[in-house]
Order: sequence, then structure tokens, then C-alpha cells
Amino acid sequence: MPTQGGEITLGRGGENSGGGADADRWLKVGFVAPALLVLISVNIFPLIYSIWLSFTNADLVGGGIRSVGTLNYSFLFFDPRYAQALRTTVLFVALAVGIELVLGYGLALCLRPTFRGKPILLTALLVPMMMPPAVMGVYWTLILNGSFGVLNQALGLLGLPELQWLTDPDLKLVSIILIDVWMWTPFTILISLAGLNAIPASIYEAAAVDRATTWMVFRRITLPMSAPLVGLAALLRATDALKQFDLVMAITGPNDGATQTLSALLYQVMFRDGKVGLASAYSYMVLVVVIALASVFLRYLASLQHRASATEAT
Amino acid sequence: MTTKAFLSSVIFAALCSAMVLPTSAQDPATDAPTLTIWWAQWDPAVGLQTLSEDFTKESGIVVKVQQIPWPSYQEQVFLNFGNKTTDFDIVIGDSQWLGRGADKGLYLELTDWIGEAVDLSTIHPLAQRYLMEYPEGSGRYYGAPCETDAIGFVYRKDWFEDPAEKKAFQVKYSRKLAPPDTWQEFRDIAEHFHRPDEKRYGTALLTGRGYDSITMGFQPFLWAWGGAWADPETFEVQGHVNGLGAVAGLEAFIDLLQFTPPGGESSDYFQNLDAFTNGSTAMVLDYFPFYPGIVQNMGDQAGFFVVPRNGDTRAISLGGQGFSVSTKTSAQQQELAKQFIAWFQRTEVQEKWITFPGCFTANTELLQSQAFREAYPFNSTFAESLDHLRDFWNVPVYNELLSASLRNLGEALDKVKTPQEALDQLAMEHELILRGAGLLK
Amino acid sequence: MNRRLGLGRLRWVFLALYSVFSVLPLLWLGITSVKSKADSISTTVRFVPTTQPVDPRASTIRFLPTLDGYRALSDVYAGADHPYYHYLGNTLVIGVLSMVASVLIGTACAYGFSRFLIPGARDWLFFILSTRFLPPLAVVIPVLMMYREFGLQNTHLGLIILYTSFNLSLAVWLMKGFVDEIPAAYEEAALIDGYSRLSAFIRVVLPRAVPGMAVTAVFCLISAWNEYGFAMTLNNREGVTVPVYFAGLQGNVQGFPWSQIGAGVFLFVTPIVLFTILVRRHLLRGVTFGTIKR
Repeated sequence: MPTQGGEITLGRGGENSGGGADADRWLKVGFVAPALLVLISVNIFPLIYSIWLSFTNADLVGGGIRSVGTLNYSFLFFDPRYAQALRTTVLFVALAVGIELVLGYGLALCLRPTFRGKPILLTALLVPMMMPPAVMGVYWTLILNGSFGVLNQALGLLGLPELQWLTDPDLKLVSIILIDVWMWTPFTILISLAGLNAIPASIYEAAAVDRATTWMVFRRITLPMSAPLVGLAALLRATDALKQFDLVMAITGPNDGATQTLSALLYQVMFRDGKVGLASAYSYMVLVVVIALASVFLRYLASLQHRASATEAT
Repeated sequence: MTTKAFLSSVIFAALCSAMVLPTSAQDPATDAPTLTIWWAQWDPAVGLQTLSEDFTKESGIVVKVQQIPWPSYQEQVFLNFGNKTTDFDIVIGDSQWLGRGADKGLYLELTDWIGEAVDLSTIHPLAQRYLMEYPEGSGRYYGAPCETDAIGFVYRKDWFEDPAEKKAFQVKYSRKLAPPDTWQEFRDIAEHFHRPDEKRYGTALLTGRGYDSITMGFQPFLWAWGGAWADPETFEVQGHVNGLGAVAGLEAFIDLLQFTPPGGESSDYFQNLDAFTNGSTAMVLDYFPFYPGIVQNMGDQAGFFVVPRNGDTRAISLGGQGFSVSTKTSAQQQELAKQFIAWFQRTEVQEKWITFPGCFTANTELLQSQAFREAYPFNSTFAESLDHLRDFWNVPVYNELLSASLRNLGEALDKVKTPQEALDQLAMEHELILRGAGLLK
Repeated sequence: MNRRLGLGRLRWVFLALYSVFSVLPLLWLGITSVKSKADSISTTVRFVPTTQPVDPRASTIRFLPTLDGYRALSDVYAGADHPYYHYLGNTLVIGVLSMVASVLIGTACAYGFSRFLIPGARDWLFFILSTRFLPPLAVVIPVLMMYREFGLQNTHLGLIILYTSFNLSLAVWLMKGFVDEIPAAYEEAALIDGYSRLSAFIRVVLPRAVPGMAVTAVFCLISAWNEYGFAMTLNNREGVTVPVYFAGLQGNVQGFPWSQIGAGVFLFVTPIVLFTILVRRHLLRGVTFGTIKR
């Protein structure tokens, strides 16, 4: 997916090679090629193969494969599950990533000044991110269980209503978001904190001389200067959240209308119904949308970054 | 930690890992012929592995029961069928898989062989129908029973026998408190024991949304109230799955959910197990292989009864799985496989089979024997249940049918749709799927 | 900065609340790991340890701690071929080797893009990042067919290659940020001293890139360590990893062995936590993706 050039200069794109170009050519290839080779053979080649599959009636158990033209793609428009899964996925990504960003950025602001025990606290807060999602999903059902789960018992003790986290059709998705937020807010804390730490102290000193209010400092310096990195965190989280599967599988299974994300639908169509051709077409639609969104987003990030460096320069 | 120390520790770790690699290579090859069986990872499969040692002693054929975790068992099996040759010679598959296996040429047809090798009169006719035959009534066999299974209720015997409870129940319902025979009696008892303030609940039914739990839980009501998935001859679904009986059945099912523990409108096999084991629920529906664990944990506190009837109709969802031979393995291996299957069906082998935890038989002789009925407290209930078994679709598109059923029944239980709306939608979707598969003209 | 009115106190409240939200589930996991099965599903939640045996169905908040959950990990439970530790070993081998591979290949690639003039570099970099957007299910069937062809199914190597490819995009992007920050002057000086490009890379650039590599390693390790979908699909004999072991526990006819799951997860996550603590110092600097100019 080639991008339209120029603006994506995350990193100091230092193409500052010195020395004999000819002698370096093989070396250049030697450095870059292994990574590209691995990616092309393990990711891109299969992807091309699945383009072909998406135009066939391929079945999980093999047998006579024949071309069906664009039938699989036209199916997208008739399958109500696809539209619903798209809605569920967008809702999940928007809410989960939104909450993670706001929470993570807020916590990063709180964690910014040094205080005693900060390294320990920070490390402890990172632990959920290291947990295996497939297992934690199952384990959370113990916490969220409607009748004997510890969360409901605690809520009951506090006189709050006990909610059916795992079974109420309106709450299932909320529970999955809750677990995702628990697992991945540490990631946004980490990246936000890195962004905040990189803002030069001299800028704040200048602001102090100008008697800027706290709000002004935040609005004019802190936020814009950390925005590019936070944006990147958003991008990385969003691409992962778009693929959300493990938690859905553990909490409700792949075929619950209230929580069926695109990945869960893919799984159902491919592995349960055995319709590999159709599933390939579905996954292609997902991929195209994701890459289109990502390239727009990266452009936006690059422009943010330009603004950030402009702020720094003034 | 210095850079150097860090680097060297990583390299050290990598080297250590690399050294572990070769040790985990193949098992030493044996010369003895080996038969590979795939089954889900659970206690009955352990029983089968142990039992097969007798077979090895007799025949010299080594049997390896390869166990695949439940959550992806079905996916693994059909993925493996996509290979030129399968990694297994025998697969122990759900009753639903028969159509797909037969239709796609994955399961070896056993019709001619099985009549000679196995005494079919020893196998319960309903097990023959659902675990062996495809299409239903055709007389063509693609499987043989391994784990014959059904759903049944486990109840709190100590609560039912508590004099105070008996008296209170008698006063309120003018009837003796005893395991229910009809769904109406069942409802009264569930209501009687349902005391959320004391963290006691009436019942837990099968309503889970993971795979087939909600469908298995609904079926007894569907059939007992006079509904059906379809006309068995024409496969016409309209008027059957959304007919008056089906709707009344679904209404009765939903009505009972008011007596479940919180969250009972989406509760599967494992959640039900926990709901009973933690002592909160009076009557719990589950598959029989889970009951040895219950007896072990609860002892005399647990009793068992057959799924109740409505009017004259008692219908019970079939569980369990049968042996099928892969077509994608050598003829030689297929012969070994047949040899094993025939051996397994012998009455004296079945006699030993049912001594392992969670292992059940379809052998009619054993089912009637006093020894079997007394071996475990749930055995006589199991034997009685077999006469009322019925099963979901086993056509090649069963998974799509199951998926439509899960979603629409789920919406009815969640009160997003009325029972009639949900079943109308379900009938429409089933009709489309069956037409698409060319089964419904 | 210091003139926040009342914000200081609010900050502590916010931090405390989040810490509770973050740490309590972990604490509960720890408690669950030392409970019996009956205590873990009791209708009255039990969290106060006692030395007296407790009636499994009594209404009490006390429980008798037990190490059965940990002991069960040494057993070969229903259907598995080995105890838990065997699968932990598999995870270790696969996780560590794929981590090393991603970091090394990723660093080399990042260096290439950072120091050489490569035609279409930005497109290539975007291409590398875009592989991260791929829904894994889109490639599972072709990968499986490929692996069958090359005999990589049921092997450690198969998973190592796969995880390496999944982590490469992140590794290249993280490392590019790092390598960009290492002044080219160092290498140029080395080149003048007679080093070759390669040895300049190894002797001069790599040591300076170690903090970045460490951080990249953490992320690669976490994702390879915890992966479930492919580990499940590509393996059923050799190279079975711990997440798949946990899936196998779900066939237990006694119901979920919660304490065993708790104990297993606890042991499972410890190596990663230790590794993170080791590289903690570099962690914050590591995740900047080169967006920050110093």
C-alpha cells in the first residue's frame, strides 16, 4: 500500500549516508532485506493467496475449489451480521481506545513529577499489559460472574446495584471494554509519559516568565507537544483493538450478536461454517478499510508533528 | 545493569533456549502398528486411552488418543481434514458432524462392514440413528457410538428431603415435594426454592451463547410442546420451528428463567456446574459426564432425575460422540481403525468402559443390567434418558443452522424480541440456509 | 507547573483510584491461586485466610489457604502429555528466540533505513507498518498451507518465524527512532579509523542502541509470550505453549480449576515482569518512535 509521499516524517528520516555508494549497495540490501523477506514471505505472500481464495468457494476441508467471481464480496451487502459486526467493532475501538487514551494521558500527567516510589508504582501499573489476553478473559469471568463474582458482591456491600456484566446484552460489550481498558491503559500511560518527558524544560521556564496560567501552559505547550506521540499510541492501540478477538471469545464466544466483532465474525464464518472463500472476502474488506484509515491518520500525525516542532522553535 | 551484562544475558538466554530445542523432537519410533485417535481433551478421553491398553495387549496395535482442547476441537478437526492425509485415523466427532463428514467424503462409509463386525442389536436404536446413520433413516452408516450422552438434571437431595421444606411445599402446592415428572411440577419446585435473598436459586438451565448450549437447552421445550426443527421428510421449517408448539415451548423456557441465579439467561455447561457445586442452586441441567465430579464434590447431597415431560411428550437433547474413520488415511490404517471400533463395541469391553469417570455406553444389555444401574447414582437416570433422545440437525450446514438458532433464541431470552418474532426470524434464516444448501426445494 | 490550585490532591486521588482498579484484579488472581475450588466459587466471597478448615458451602468470608493450585501444575492432568512446566519451557524457547530474531532483524532494517538512501523509503516503512494492521485470521489458512508444505506445522520453529514476522513492524519502527538519535558522526569517525561499515555498525551503533533494543525486546516478548490463536491452530503435538495449556483446562469435568489457572498465570507472567524491571530505566525513552527531537 504505497502512500502518497512526503508528509510521513516520523523520525528524523536521516538519509545521511556517507561513503562510496557502490560499495554500500550490497550492504544496504543486507541490512534491510531480511526484514522485508520475512514480512513478504510470512505476511504478504499469504495475503495474496487469500485474494485468490476470496474469489472462490474454498471450504475449510478442501474439495473442489472453483471460482465464484465477486459473489463473496456481494454477500457483504446482504449479510446483516457484517453490518452489525462493523458497528460493534467501531463502537468497541472508539470507546476502548478513547478511554485508554484519556485515562492513560491523565495518569501520565499525574505520574510526571518525580516522587518516592514512582518507579515501583509505574512498574506495578504496567503488569496488566503483560497478561495473556486469552487466559485473562476466562479469569475475568470469575470476577464478573453475576451471582458469585467478587465485583458484584463488592457492589452489593456498598449498596450499589449488582449488574449482570456477562449476560446483560447491553453490558457484555461494556465488560469487554472494561477488561481491554484494564489491560491496555498501561500502554498509553507509557507512551504518553515518554511524550511528556521529552518536552524541554526551557519552554516551561519561558512560560513561567510570561506568567501563563496552568491551563494555558497545558493547552498551548503540554498538549500540542505531546500530541504526536499520543496520536501514535492511538494508532497502535486502534489497530490492535480492531483485531480484538481473544476477549470476545472468552467472554461470550464468537457468535453473540451483542459482542460479535469483525474478527469474531471472521472466525465464525471461516472455522465454524467452514467458508474460507467468504471469510477471505470479509477479511479483505477489513484490511482495506484499516489501511485507508491508517494512512489518513499517519498524514494527520505528521502534520501535528510539524506544528509541535513549530511550537518548539518559537 | 550494564549494557554488556544485558546483552550477554540475552544471548545466554537465547543459547539456552536453542539447546532445549532438539530435545523436544519426535518420540522414539516404534515398530508396532499405531492407531491415532483424535478426541477433545477431557476425562473420557483419558478413559479411552487407558482402556485401549487392553486392545494393545490383544492385538499388538498401539493406540494413541490425541487430545485437543475443547475450545478449538471442531476447528482443529476440520482444518486437519483439509490436508492430503489426516493426522488421525479415527476421529471422535459430534453427532452433528456426520452430514458434513459423509457429504464431503471425509468419513469412511461403514455400512457394509459394520453389520458383519458389530452386533447392531446391542446398540441402542436412538444411538444408531443419531451417532451412526446419515441421512437419517437411510440405513447408511458413517460412525459408531463412543461416548453416548444426554442432558439430565442434578438436584439437591438434602434440600428435597429436608422435613421443613417438605412441609412448606405441601402447604403451598398441596403435593409432596419430590423430583418432578412434568415441567409444571418442575416450575413449582423451582419457584419454591428460589430465594435470592438467601442466595438460593431454583434452577439453572442451559442458555450459554458460546456454541450449542442455548440450543441444547431449548430443544426439550421445543419438542415437548409439539414443535420441531422441521418436517423430517420435506425439511419444511415454516410452521414447525415457529409453529404454535414451538412458541409455547420457548415461552415456557423463558418463564423458568426467572428462577435462575443472576445471569441465568446466559449460562453454559461450566457455569451450571459451578452454580451447583457452590451449593446455591436446587436443580441444574447439564450433561451426564460432568456428574462424576459432582458426586465426588457433593456426595449424598446430589440426586438425579430425567428431563421432565409436558403432557405425554418427554424429549431430551442428545450429546455425545461417535467414532468415524478418516478417508484420508491409508487403507491399512483404516483396517486397524475398524478393528478397534469393532473391539470397542463388544459388551465385555463396554462393561469396562463405563467404569471410567464420565464414560457412558449405548449398549442395551448393559443399560438394563442391575450392575450398571447401581454403579453410579446417576446411571439409572442416564439409562432412562436414552429412550427419549432427539438431536439437532446433522446436515452439512449444521453450523450455520446452529449459529442462527443461537442468535435468535438469544434475542428472545434477552427480551430483545418476543418468542414469536424470534422464531419467525429463525424459521426464515433456517429456510434460507437449507435452500442455499439444496436440502429444501 | 507548581501553581495548580488543588490539582495536587486531585492527582493523588486519581492515581490511587486507578491503582486500585489496576492492582485489585491481580491481587484477586493471587488469592484465587491459593484457594480450593470450593472457596473460589462460594456464594459469599472469601478473602480472609484462616487456619481452620471451612465448610465448602457455609456463608463465611474465611478460607483455608492451600497450595493445591500450584501442586496441580506439576501433575499431568487429563489428556495433556506433560505437566505445565513443559509448556512453560516451550513458551520460553519460542518467546525468547522470536524476540531475539525480531530485535536483531528489526535493528538491522532500522539501521538500513536510517543511514542509507533507499528509494521509496517512506513507502517501504509504511508497508512495514501496514503488516501490523493485518487481521491474523486473514492469513491463517495460507500460512497453514505453507507450513504444511515446509513441514513447519507442530514445530517450535514455525511459531518462532510467525511471531518474528508479527513483531517485526513494531521492532523496525521503534528501533528506527532509536537509531536516528545516534549521531552518524560516531560511525563516520569509526570509518575513518579503518572500520568497515559492518564492524562500525556492530562496534559503534549496536552498543548505543541497546536501551532501545531492550525496550523493543519487552514488547516483542509480551506479544509472542501470550499469543493464542496461531499457537492453537498450528500445534497440537510439539511446541504447545502455555496459553494453549490453559485452553486445555476447559475440558475438566469438575469445572474450571480456578486455583490452577490462578497459579499458572502467576508463574507465567513472572518472567516478563522481571524482564521489564531489568529494562525499566530505558522503557520511557524507548517508546518514542523517534518522534522526539532532542
